[in-house]
Amino acid sequence: MNRVTKARLFTIFRYAMLVVWSVIVAFPIFWIVSTSFKPDWEWHAWPPVYWSNEASWVNYQAVWGREQSPRTTLEQKTQTARYESHSANKPWQALWNSLYIAITATALSVAFGAILAYGVSRYRILSEIRMFQLLVLRMIPPIVVAAPLTLYYSAIHLMDTALGLIIVYFITTLPYSVWMTKSFVDEVPVEIEQAAEILGATKWQAIREVIFPLIRSGIVATFLFILILTWSEYLLSLMLSKVDVVTLPVQLAKYEGSDEGRVYGHQAALAVGITLPLMVIGIFIRKHLVRGFTFGMVKR
Amino acid sequence: MSEKQIKRRSLLKAGLATAVAGPAVLGGGKAHAGPEEDAVIKAGKKLGGAKLNGMMWGLYWRNYPDLNREFNKATGISMDKVSDVPNLQIPQRAMAEAITRSGKFDIFHVESMMIPSLAAAGMLEPLDDYMKSAGFDLKMVGNFETFMQYQGKTYAMPTDGNVCPQFIRKDLFDNPDERKAFADKHGKPLKWPVTWEDELEVMKHFHRPDKELYGFGGLRDKANSSFWYWMYLYSAGGFPFDDDANPTLNTPAAEYAFDTWLARKQVSHPEAAAWGSPQMIPRIRNGKIFSCQYWDGIIALIESPTANTKTRGMWHYGLVPGSKFSGKLIHRAFSAPVMAMVVNKHSPRKKQAVAWAMYMSTYKNSAEVVGHPKFTFHDPWHPKHMTDPQVTKVYTKPGIKSVEDNLLVTCPPPYVTGYQEFKEVVDRNLSEAYAGRKKGAKKVMGDIQNEWAKIIRKVGKRKLKREIPFYKAMMPKVDVPS
Amino acid sequence: MATATIAQPKGRRSTRARGVRVFKWSVLSPLILLFAFLIPVFLLQIYFSFHSWTVYLSTWFDAEFVGLELFQEVLTEGRFWKAMGRSLLFAGLSTLGCFICGFALALLMYKPFRGQAFFYILFILPMLTVPVVIAYTADMLLYEKGPINGFLSYFLPGDLSKFTWLANPDVAIFTIILLEIWNWTPFVFIIMLAGLSSLPTEPVEAARILGASRLQIFREIQLPLLRPVIFLALILRFLEAMAEFPKTWGLIQGGPGTATETIPIYLYFTTWVSFDISKGAAMSYVVMVIMIFIVLTAIYVLRREKRALDALHETSRTEA
Repeated sequence: MNRVTKARLFTIFRYAMLVVWSVIVAFPIFWIVSTSFKPDWEWHAWPPVYWSNEASWVNYQAVWGREQSPRTTLEQKTQTARYESHSANKPWQALWNSLYIAITATALSVAFGAILAYGVSRYRILSEIRMFQLLVLRMIPPIVVAAPLTLYYSAIHLMDTALGLIIVYFITTLPYSVWMTKSFVDEVPVEIEQAAEILGATKWQAIREVIFPLIRSGIVATFLFILILTWSEYLLSLMLSKVDVVTLPVQLAKYEGSDEGRVYGHQAALAVGITLPLMVIGIFIRKHLVRGFTFGMVKR
Repeated sequence: MSEKQIKRRSLLKAGLATAVAGPAVLGGGKAHAGPEEDAVIKAGKKLGGAKLNGMMWGLYWRNYPDLNREFNKATGISMDKVSDVPNLQIPQRAMAEAITRSGKFDIFHVESMMIPSLAAAGMLEPLDDYMKSAGFDLKMVGNFETFMQYQGKTYAMPTDGNVCPQFIRKDLFDNPDERKAFADKHGKPLKWPVTWEDELEVMKHFHRPDKELYGFGGLRDKANSSFWYWMYLYSAGGFPFDDDANPTLNTPAAEYAFDTWLARKQVSHPEAAAWGSPQMIPRIRNGKIFSCQYWDGIIALIESPTANTKTRGMWHYGLVPGSKFSGKLIHRAFSAPVMAMVVNKHSPRKKQAVAWAMYMSTYKNSAEVVGHPKFTFHDPWHPKHMTDPQVTKVYTKPGIKSVEDNLLVTCPPPYVTGYQEFKEVVDRNLSEAYAGRKKGAKKVMGDIQNEWAKIIRKVGKRKLKREIPFYKAMMPKVDVPS
Repeated sequence: MATATIAQPKGRRSTRARGVRVFKWSVLSPLILLFAFLIPVFLLQIYFSFHSWTVYLSTWFDAEFVGLELFQEVLTEGRFWKAMGRSLLFAGLSTLGCFICGFALALLMYKPFRGQAFFYILFILPMLTVPVVIAYTADMLLYEKGPINGFLSYFLPGDLSKFTWLANPDVAIFTIILLEIWNWTPFVFIIMLAGLSSLPTEPVEAARILGASRLQIFREIQLPLLRPVIFLALILRFLEAMAEFPKTWGLIQGGPGTATETIPIYLYFTTWVSFDISKGAAMSYVVMVIMIFIVLTAIYVLRREKRALDALHETSRTEA
């Protein structure tokens, strides 16, 4: 009886705590979404408006819609038109840049990371101390190298190119790729690939046909984590892009200030667009995530 | 103010608007080029077409697509790609381009105070020869042309002639009950403030935080603190450098300016230390602020016929207060950032870029840009803007009058190489003082003085000594505009 | 493995060794090339930190050699050490906060229960939110009469409509710490959840049969087994927090005053607002040395834990 009561109490306690944390997590996210649907007079309202009665897509149209000519804007009577044409270049280009750069860099980083991890796991091509030193790559704050990197990049014409950004993202995320995938490769029994090799498979075939499928979960989890890092990277992208490869986080930063009051609704509409792709991917592959994050630091 | 009055006012204004609105502006793309524009087009045609890259904030760019299309049709020169970067970031982005000698961008839309630094970094193309050959004459109100020059050469085309007039809430200020209460308390009638001390007294009277009305609405955050400071300093007869390029910020005038600056904390919103324009402007527009000195674009934002504001018609606009600290009354307003287009010397398309910039800065085209009733980021600067019907419609008669008055006594922040560095020191120290982390005018101004000495060493004293006479020459010739 | 290789004929063994060598270098050479590609960045950095260059000098290679002057300037500067202190405070407290919240959540959730999947998805969302978005959202939420104060005043006593999150220099740094905790608790949560759910169940069962209490099991069995993972989570989080830039910058640019000026912010100001590239470079080296010292300590700790773990692994394997 006592045991049952205790268990029940724990269940209640657990749900109570989880609900509290859910509110903490969900409130800001809810606020972004709700603000993105609000008309401008509710952005700063007190008491706060939680969900607008006049919810509309106006903010989305303003941010993601077609650019308007200033002269035609004159003829429109409505106030909302005032906020249109807020942007010189609509964020579609930035969205494409972000997707292209983040996904390419992430894919390269994870693929190369996994191969390297395989080499380390099976043949110790990097000693243990080298493996740890690899982490240093990640741990230098990007701001520390921003200035010389800018000069170097313009000297070798990598400034404002997708390749330039992909290279720095690849390098800074490689340590995580190697460490995360290595813990999965370690778990694959050596016998399986030996069997494959006896059947005449080359090393690369063994990796492609045997190892990768077996550690799929780990690869997917690593991919998402690296994608989070590259997708949301701000400082390097700010420094190394000009007009051609501006990414979404940098695009959002133009709302940094404004002479007419911060345009919260527009920011929110853009923010939803930036965050949504990651969230969708995250939700789709959630079941792979749990096992991906031990970095080989747990005895299984 | 009664409802009837509002109605009558807006009716009157609407009538006026239809009467004066030029067909060129309201007609939608039917603008016909005048002689000034034709001359630029003619010069542009000779250069051959080009696709330009520019760096300009979207909020400024949105006025230009039509004019850009027009110019492209006439000459084949167009702004093809615009890097949408907020004002605060453009100086550092432009400087990064200067360091790398990149020719990627042709035009930077940057605050004019950056002209000395960018010119010193070897990135600006002087425009005088181009202007002469295209027969283009740059005219600006009062002494304002010097804001586009450096060592006697013109380097920029203005687009936004910011100045900060005095804003005072008319409905409160003219209220007979308030006037009586003020007169009873102070033993003198309530009058338009002439000195900073008068202003503080008036603001204190109207400062009612419990009713969500704050006496003062100037900015006190880290990015903007110094702008107001220069105004207090100049009006006290102070100047930040002596003729030998030594800083003079430990002088009595500088300390007086600091005390004046900090005294506004008593009548400001408690969160002002973290507020920039994005937070302040909604408060001004929605009637939470009694008075301030603020960028003139806000007049258009409040008064424009299409504006959606709670306080339309509820403001007085006038001359900013001055100071008698120096022994005589001096009024000084501040103009920063004055946004202007500079041309990159390293660009292979710089000739076309200059033509493009000139086309946007002719009287007629700039009036279309400045007089836009919805996109109000560009503010008047051309002498003819002050009488232009479309501009007057958007800014109102009293509004435009206050712009003109203040432009006659307006001053720049330190217009020398290293502006950003000098500004950063002042902003940071003032912001620390405002947050209560540093106390006393002597200490704060002393710290600034010492840090400035270091910057001066870095920039080079000889260089600064050459520049200071030009900076001094930008000071207005009148103390009290008539 | 040993038996498998011995079983093979001799010729095959040497081709196999060659195959391994080829594989090794075909993987390592791109890596080495990449490092080589980056070397000029650090050389430039060294050049700048020993030469006093300002952007107003015509070209960067005719700057004046000043020796260690710039390093001396950085090391004797109060502002630098204050920023370093703030960075350490920021990283330390946010790591601690992330860890407490993340570990607590993982402990509540590692065993299956109804709604586990739902809460799991919800709890990882902050990590999927772009930091710049978080900064702007915080700006929307955290003002005197903002939604957070409005929301909290339903639950907390007192007048919250006067509480300032950003304008008060004593509070501002904690506000950005809270944001960092909100953003990165999921990271610790996922690591700890993975750690907890992959712990062997036998020792726990055995202890339970012997009559150990829940707390005892946690302290004596689970915690020691989790030690390496805990260290890993703390170290990674701490180091990432040292480099945090977008939230602090996007929200208050290190203000009010210098109340939230951490090392990345100060470096940004020095290099890109004051255009003092040389001082920035010298400062970068100082920061790098400090960071490398921290990382080496971290590596030492991690290696020790990893060794202990591997040893444990070996003994359990031989026992089996």
